[in-house]
Amino acid sequence: MTEIERHSYDVVVIGAGGAGLRAAIEARQQGKRTAVVCKSLFGKAHTVMAEGGAAAAMGNVNPSDNWQVHFRDTMRGGKFLNNWRMAELHAQEAPDRVWELEAWGALFDRTKDGKISQRNFGGHEYPRLAHVGDRTGLELIRTLQQRVVALQQEDDKLHGDPEAYIKVFQECTVTRLLKDGDAIAGAFGYWRETGNFICFEAPAVVLATGGIGKSYVVTSNSWEYTGDGHALALMAGAGLINMEFIQFHPTGMVWPPSVRGILVTESVRGDGGVLRNSEGKRFMFEYVPDVFKDKYATTEEEADRWYTDQANNRRPPELLPRDEVARAINSEVKAGRGTPHGGVYLDVSTRMPAEEIVRRLPSMHHQFKELADVDITREPMEVGPTCHYIMGGVEVDADTGAASVPGLFAAGEVSGGMHGSNRLGGNSLSDLLVFGRRAGAGAAAYVDGLTARPKAPEEAVRQAEAEALAPLEREGGENPYTVHHELQQTMNDLVGIIRKADEISEALGAIEKLKERAGVTGAAGGRIYNPGWHLAIDLRNMLLVSECVAKAALLREESRGGHTRDDFPGMSPEWRRKLLVCRLDGSTVNIEEKVQPSMRDDLITLFERDELKKYLTEAELSEYDALVEKEA
Amino acid sequence: MSAEPAMRAAETAGESIVLRVSRYLPGRDAEPVPRDYEVPLREEWSVLDGLNHVKDVLDGSLAYRWSCRMGICGSCGMTVNGEPRLTCGTFLSEFAPGPVVVEPLRGFAVIRDLVVDIEPFLGKLASVTPWLVRNGAEPPPDAEFAQTPEQLGAYKQFSMCINCMLCYSACPVYALDEDFLGPAAIALAQRYNLDSRDMGAAARFDVLAAAGGVWDCTYVGECSAACPKGVDPAGAIQQYKLTAAMETVRRFLLPKGAR
Repeated sequence: MTEIERHSYDVVVIGAGGAGLRAAIEARQQGKRTAVVCKSLFGKAHTVMAEGGAAAAMGNVNPSDNWQVHFRDTMRGGKFLNNWRMAELHAQEAPDRVWELEAWGALFDRTKDGKISQRNFGGHEYPRLAHVGDRTGLELIRTLQQRVVALQQEDDKLHGDPEAYIKVFQECTVTRLLKDGDAIAGAFGYWRETGNFICFEAPAVVLATGGIGKSYVVTSNSWEYTGDGHALALMAGAGLINMEFIQFHPTGMVWPPSVRGILVTESVRGDGGVLRNSEGKRFMFEYVPDVFKDKYATTEEEADRWYTDQANNRRPPELLPRDEVARAINSEVKAGRGTPHGGVYLDVSTRMPAEEIVRRLPSMHHQFKELADVDITREPMEVGPTCHYIMGGVEVDADTGAASVPGLFAAGEVSGGMHGSNRLGGNSLSDLLVFGRRAGAGAAAYVDGLTARPKAPEEAVRQAEAEALAPLEREGGENPYTVHHELQQTMNDLVGIIRKADEISEALGAIEKLKERAGVTGAAGGRIYNPGWHLAIDLRNMLLVSECVAKAALLREESRGGHTRDDFPGMSPEWRRKLLVCRLDGSTVNIEEKVQPSMRDDLITLFERDELKKYLTEAELSEYDALVEKEA
Repeated sequence: MSAEPAMRAAETAGESIVLRVSRYLPGRDAEPVPRDYEVPLREEWSVLDGLNHVKDVLDGSLAYRWSCRMGICGSCGMTVNGEPRLTCGTFLSEFAPGPVVVEPLRGFAVIRDLVVDIEPFLGKLASVTPWLVRNGAEPPPDAEFAQTPEQLGAYKQFSMCINCMLCYSACPVYALDEDFLGPAAIALAQRYNLDSRDMGAAARFDVLAAAGGVWDCTYVGECSAACPKGVDPAGAIQQYKLTAAMETVRRFLLPKGAR
């Protein structure tokens, strides 16, 4: 038995991406002693890779924009499965969060008259994304990181210790949440650098760990995205919702293999890039679904006019929501009209002068030149769908980010509900800021309301320690990388963009077997910075999350947003009202159905009946009619 | 040369190249030891792909940092055949027939294998007040500052830094004196000094013009050559030397209250 490093905080935030840092800043502002614990280095979190921008209805470029329009776009994008209260708060507060970021020093591209510029993006009715080139995530994370440092220097002056109220524990991985009875009491983890254990005693934990992409082979996500927060929440007794909805970003690089899955930002399409198949056809016109027919151009001429005259033309179909574009590309490739490497062509080279491409898409130009030896000013890119984002996550209270377990909070990608069945591009960075702040405030208020601090039993700490040490102590155990690769291939092949009942069942069988094998993986090489050991621990999380995804995908017998069932191709109004909640029972995931609460009167009447009838049941429509009649 | 033969996967077919990787485990090794691994030589494989192959197939204990694979997180900087490089953007084929020598970034303490201690670097960044200083002045009431594209252009280049530390590793001054503030931190200070919204230049002067600040730079320019994002820290330093010289004269000439 080894010595365990111990700390005591009011709030422990797990994850240091946009949501985690914004939560930590808020908790510190509310006077709480706050720890930020993150797997990778401070300032290198996944948020850094976000390119397009933060969606906020500031109306800087088109004054017709406002929160109601943004709310409507978000609900449409999510096919009305969204937690409408989250979508409302998000649309209302995103502008304040962007302006706040600006006041802290963030730089944004500007309009000629010096306002924060906003760009077009798929599914957004007006130019709405505050951005800096195609590296908005980097600027966002840098600003929040430096805000933390600024607060630390303030605390140094006030308390003689920069880390008195906010301390970052970097390259530190949490493996278990600790509880006292029903309530959160802390977290247990290890330092990646030394392999030594660390235990946080804290009444409130904010999960901000991001997503689950590393369960798939082709993904834009980096190694950190192993579903840690999702799994920690499950194991602590919280419920996960919407786990069947995974966003496959339509335009990942497909070649060369070493960069397969890496994102090609949607701004390429927002700025005029078009999709063509191997026959040179601009195929997206064939794939505009009925629900979007009146909003998208039907001819190339109209689509092209839209870039310069948005008032009098409908948008190009390349700017449909991501799920639609991903499925269209998938169909083209399946029909034999794909590129040599199994994608389609995304072309800007014939659309604008070379200098303009380099100016507007500098990172993309650089990325293709450096990583694929393709000059996007001269030739088209080859792109295809890549696992990018999970809409599902911890079921939380919209206003506070509180999960069902007292003391547990979640924000950002690890939380569920905000994006419904499909997230719009640009709504992620704004989500992080809006709900990161709310979760930080929620956690602080929760701590204020406590009469006594919960305390984790020592037994739980020792169990967590034994669990973490197990792979190191297994001589000649199975290579964790092998198990990981098999899981990734299984999820990619059987629970990918297009799903079928028998394939999902096959995946569930495979996951069961992989769970057994993950239990006997071994890692040689000791405790100091040993990635094999770290992966052996992460496997538990990826398997749990994959089980949630597959089980929910099997149950939901309809197609909606990031969940497409070949055997149930239509959207069902009955299913729209249902949420599937995953919970852990022993070592098995169980799922229960839950009815989504009806939208508030003033929100539902923001929509026209014609639109609602595509989504709602007859009974819901009658309620809507009665409401409209009463107001008339 | 490595004492042991190169590790290779049994099924490795076709062309291959040797990665000569610096291995170091405190407590086991007195000093870093090179170890050879044979990895497939594919035209499109980066050095990072080679390292991932080693970790996934040959030796799961190899420690190195990486994340985004797209040159934006700045985690995977290492010394490749003597030069500081981002390994995700450096291709194996550049070094054929090999070997490709991969060592930790120079100028930093090694924790294990290719992982170095970055704490001193973070401390330097924090020392230049890297945020908007407003001296109590509130932002404008209409929610955002006005800043024209021209005003943005004055500092935008210096905001491209991804904190990969290649410039420190390349800097001959930093190699001799670890107290030197260094290229990225000075470029970061200029990113705020030149921002039309900022009022903190005077406070930063005390750090930039002090011992260990810009005057220690001998303008070799290696930092800008090493920078993968075109930040040009050497340019920032030269620019600030002029600013600092003028400010020093101004402070000398003006009575204290008027500074």
